Order: sequence, then C-alpha cells, then structure tokens
Amino acid sequence: MRQTKSKLLVLTSIILTIATLSLSAKSIEFNGMLRDYLAYTFEDSTFAVHEQTLDLTLTGWGDNTHMVINPTIYMGDNQDLQLGIREAYIDFYLENADIRVGKQAIIWGEAEGAFITDLVSPRDMRSFILADFKEIRKGVPAIKIDYYKDAFTFEGIWLPKFIPTSMPGNKSIWRKDMNPPFDTATINIPTMPDANLENSEVFGKVSHFGSKANWALMGGYAFTDEPYVWKITPPVPTIDQEYGRYIMGGGSLSTNVGQTVLRLEAAAYFDKPFAAVTKAPVPSATVEKHHQLQGLTGLDWDLWGMQMSTQYIFGYVHDHHDKLMEQGKALKEFSHTFTFRVQKTFFSDQLAAKLFTYVETDPLNALIRPSLSWTIEDGVVLEGGLDLFVGDKDGTFGSYKDNSLAWMAMRWYF
Amino acid sequence: MASIVAIALIALVSLSAALSGEEVMQEVYTRDSGNNMSANLVMTLTNSRGSTRERSIQQYRQNDSDGEKKIMFFLAPSDVKNTSFLSYSYADGRSDDQWIYLPALNRVKRVASDKKNDSFMGSDFTYDDMGTRHPSADTHKVIRTETIDGRKCLVVESIPKEAKPTYAKTLAWVVENEWIGLKKEFYLPNGKVGKKLEIDSYEKTDGVWVITDMTMSNLDKNSSTRIQMLDVTFNNDLKDSVFTERQMKIGPRI
Repeated sequence: MRQTKSKLLVLTSIILTIATLSLSAKSIEFNGMLRDYLAYTFEDSTFAVHEQTLDLTLTGWGDNTHMVINPTIYMGDNQDLQLGIREAYIDFYLENADIRVGKQAIIWGEAEGAFITDLVSPRDMRSFILADFKEIRKGVPAIKIDYYKDAFTFEGIWLPKFIPTSMPGNKSIWRKDMNPPFDTATINIPTMPDANLENSEVFGKVSHFGSKANWALMGGYAFTDEPYVWKITPPVPTIDQEYGRYIMGGGSLSTNVGQTVLRLEAAAYFDKPFAAVTKAPVPSATVEKHHQLQGLTGLDWDLWGMQMSTQYIFGYVHDHHDKLMEQGKALKEFSHTFTFRVQKTFFSDQLAAKLFTYVETDPLNALIRPSLSWTIEDGVVLEGGLDLFVGDKDGTFGSYKDNSLAWMAMRWYF
Repeated sequence: MASIVAIALIALVSLSAALSGEEVMQEVYTRDSGNNMSANLVMTLTNSRGSTRERSIQQYRQNDSDGEKKIMFFLAPSDVKNTSFLSYSYADGRSDDQWIYLPALNRVKRVASDKKNDSFMGSDFTYDDMGTRHPSADTHKVIRTETIDGRKCLVVESIPKEAKPTYAKTLAWVVENEWIGLKKEFYLPNGKVGKKLEIDSYEKTDGVWVITDMTMSNLDKNSSTRIQMLDVTFNNDLKDSVFTERQMKIGPRI
C-alpha cells in the first residue's frame, strides 16, 4: 500500500513537472502513446500478459538547446505498477558540435534485432526481445559529445555509473530456467560495481556519412551488461554473480549495391569475462577471460512493393571449452543466426502486414513473428500477431517454446 | 474535308517545326526551380468511402551541379511525427541514395532506393511523381495543343522506355513558354486512364513557377490525394548541413 502511494506520488510529481515546464519553457511539445496489450499463451491456454503502457514525451526547444523527458508507466494484472523515466536529457547545439547530457538511449550499428557494436545502452529484456525497439533499449545517464567535420562525426561518450540489462522478474513468463547446476541453486542478486570514477564506462566512435557508404569505427571500455557467475558455494549451491570489464572494438558499414542495401557490422570483445563451471563432484566456478567475435551481413531490398531484409549473424569464442557458460546456459564456440523480414502495406498504408523471423542453426530453433496492424484513423492503430517459438529447447528461442503466444494491441498516439 | 486535313497537317508541321516532344520535356526538366526551396506540404488522402486522413510534411530541397538533395520532416500524424527522410538524386543518372530516421529506432538507416513506383506515404502519388522524372526515361511526342484556363498548352505523349512500366503512357499538358505542367493523365496498358493529376492552383514565387495545389485521382481505386504547398520560398540561405544525418535527428529546426 505504501509502495503504491509512493508510486502515485512519483507519477503526480512527473505530471506536475511536465505541466510546470509546459508553462515556463519557450517552445514545448507534448506527445505520447497509450497501449493496451493482451497476450494469450497456447501452452497453458491463459491470458498470460495484459498490460497497459503510457509513454509520454515532453520536448522543449530553446534557441540552441533541446530538452526531452520521457516518462513511462507500465501496469498490468500480473505485475506491479512500474514507473520510470526512460530518457531525460538536454542537448546543447554548437556550430560544429552537439552535447547531450542526461539519461539517454544510445544506439549504434547497422544490425536489426541484434546487438553487435550496439553496447552503449543496456537492454530491457523483461519481455525477452518482444518489446518495441524503442522499449528494448534502456536510457543511461551519460554525457555524449558529437563533433562534426565535413562528412565525419567524432563521438565520445562517458557513462559515469554502470547500469546493467534488466532481466525478467520472478513472476514473468520470460524468466528462463537455468541449466544444472543452477536449476536448484539459490541465486543471489548480482553484485554491482561501486559507483566511482574507476568504474565508469567510456565509448568512442568515428563515423562517415556519404553517398557511397556510411561507415563507423567504434570502441569502448565497458562492463558486461549481463552478469556472470563468479562463485558457487556448496552444499545447496549458492550462486554469486558479478559484472566484469572488457574492451570492445568494432565497425559498421552500409552501402548501396544496385537497388539493394548491403549492411556489415563486426565487433571484437577482448578479454571478456565468462563463467567456467565445473558441475561434479562439487559444483564450482571460476572466471575466465576470452576474446569473442561477432559479425553480421545484411541485405535490404524492395520486391513487388514489399520491403525485404535478411541478415546472417555469426559468433565465435576464442579458446572455447565445454565449461564456459553464459546466462546459465552452455556457451557455444560458434553460433549462426539468420533473420528474415518482409513487410507490405495495403489500402494506402492503412493495413500493414509484417513477418520477422530469427533462425538459429545449432541447435535448430526459431522465433517466427507474423503480425498485422490496421490504422483505424490517424494515430489509432489496432494490431495483432503471433510470436511462435519453435525448435530445439536448448536454443535461444526454442527455450521459450512454452511461451508461444497470440497477441493483440491497441495504440493511441497523441 | 480536304481543308480540315490541310489545317491539321499545317498544325502538325508548325508544332514539329517549333519544338519536339523531347525538347518540350527537356524544357520542363530544366525549368528554373530555384537553387533551393522550402515548403510545408499538407497531404489529404481520401479513400473510396470518402473518409480522409491528413499528413503534414516540412520539406527542403537544394540543387547543385551534382543533382538534388531533399529532406522531409514528418510533422503529423502523431504516429509518424519526428520521422525524417533524406534523399540525394544525381544528375549523372546514378540510383538515388536515401536514408530514413525513425525516432523509435533512434538511428538513421540507409534504405533501398527502388521505390520509384511505390506509393509515397500511402498516397496516390508515387515517389516518381513526387520527384522529377528524367526526360530520357521516356520517348515524347507533341500530339496537339489545347487551351486550359486561357493558357496554350502543348499536349505531350510520353511512353516509358522501361520493360514493364506501371503505366503504358502519360499525357501531359505543358504551358508553352512557361514549361509548367497543368494536367497529366496516366494510361493503363488496357488504354484506360488509371490516374489523373489536376492542378488547382499555381503561382510565381520568388521568380519561380510553383504548383501550390494539386490533386491526384486514382480512377482505378476511386481514391484521391490532394497536396497543398504552403509557405513556399525559393533561393533561401540554406546550408549544406541541412541535408545531413545530424539534421535528420534534430528535426525541422533549420
């Protein structure tokens, strides 16, 4: 009860802040989206998720400044009221540079639905990867400076305090069972790095925007966004997790090849920490550092009025052995994932049909996401679709086989 | 009868002696459209049931010897607000380069440019209709003259050179010496008119002829799209930095 009251207090404060800013700032715009989402899982024949989302965006403009506040409210039958500020930042526009200060979502790379160089902002995985692209990226407090010189942009980012990826809660259908020996273990909350200067994260990028190609080279000194096991204490195993440092370097490119867009992206993660787990006779864990590579090749093209896209995503772990684990699952030496997207609109864009598919080859498993959206009138959209998890239960997607669902949603944009 | 034939022949001879279809369309293509242009577009889509939807776009265009750069900021409806679209078209006939900024993705994405015959934002205009089709893409013939609103127009028949065109031919009514089109009909392979473009208003702004109100009717689908160009200005002091990734993210704060 006290928690609900404090949340309402926060909500009221947000609304009052927005109202006050609306009155005082030079140029203010207020937009938002209200969504009602209902999902029916086939395995247990229940409405597993019924959630309402209010996503507000307040934008203010000065002569050379810009401000954004993006509060979000999630509420549902089987979850607590969740209030948050996804982004809250101020931009300063100079002649050849922009400075952004505050909580912000930063997105890098050319991949669609994959995270290769896109490691600055952690992810919100509370709904696995089914959330809207906007919602899957978390805002992080940061200072970002972009300097522009001709067609080049030099970007520097400093994140004073590390923020990890959000994982599904205990009541969530997206909470994943871990493999032995973690399945019966007591798992402690991961230890966060101390919030000091030494534990801040830094990223840098040089990019070029041009007619022949857009390309970028980037690097960073980061923490693993997801925790890894560093200690197992018997007899009933107690699992301790932490976040560790590594260096990332990578690049991305997109260019036209005839009427097709070619996208390339690759990153190397140097000395990334992983858990090495011995299961018997007594479970134990050590932390090992390994180099890891990820790469992507993607093609986008139009055919018969349809937008088509396909991607091949490759992963490799150097000096791999069978004890390495990640997120409670065995870490594979090589991984191969394909994505395919096709979408077409009908009736003057009022009806949109879309199919997005992930296919992981070893073991063979997939996520198949057909959907339809109907624009009833400007800004009012009715949607429906299927999220089908199929294939081997040891796969990234097949492990959610019991969560295959049909969903519908209504959105109101204002 | 003989005199009618004679008059027709004289008319044809005089037309061909004046300008060929190619020359007329070249005049249209190279007509002064200013070094750059800014405008607010209000697009009203009417479907076969008569219900309407409205889109609002702020647009900037810049021309130089290399070609044309265009940036569009979508202002309404609310579900596409803050989306922006940038295109570079090249005088040497290379394929266009196009990028879209989707605020939900917070990223500028290069997009495939083979959209010339696709609907522009769900309207009855295609991307080709919204741009300037190069005269070399069609063969042209002046077939007659007509008067529209007291202005003498050359009626030019254009037949696409491409293998499988959406429309078998078009007829364009071009005002002589001003080289602005006042009407256009798009013919289907079966000989029927599929689409019809009508100009409701045009004016000279900053010394440049500009169409400020036009309606494209799709007779096949019984739908129509009206585009009104508001606050049109030419030859502004636009910087190259307007047509960049940075500006796509900032929005229409030029």
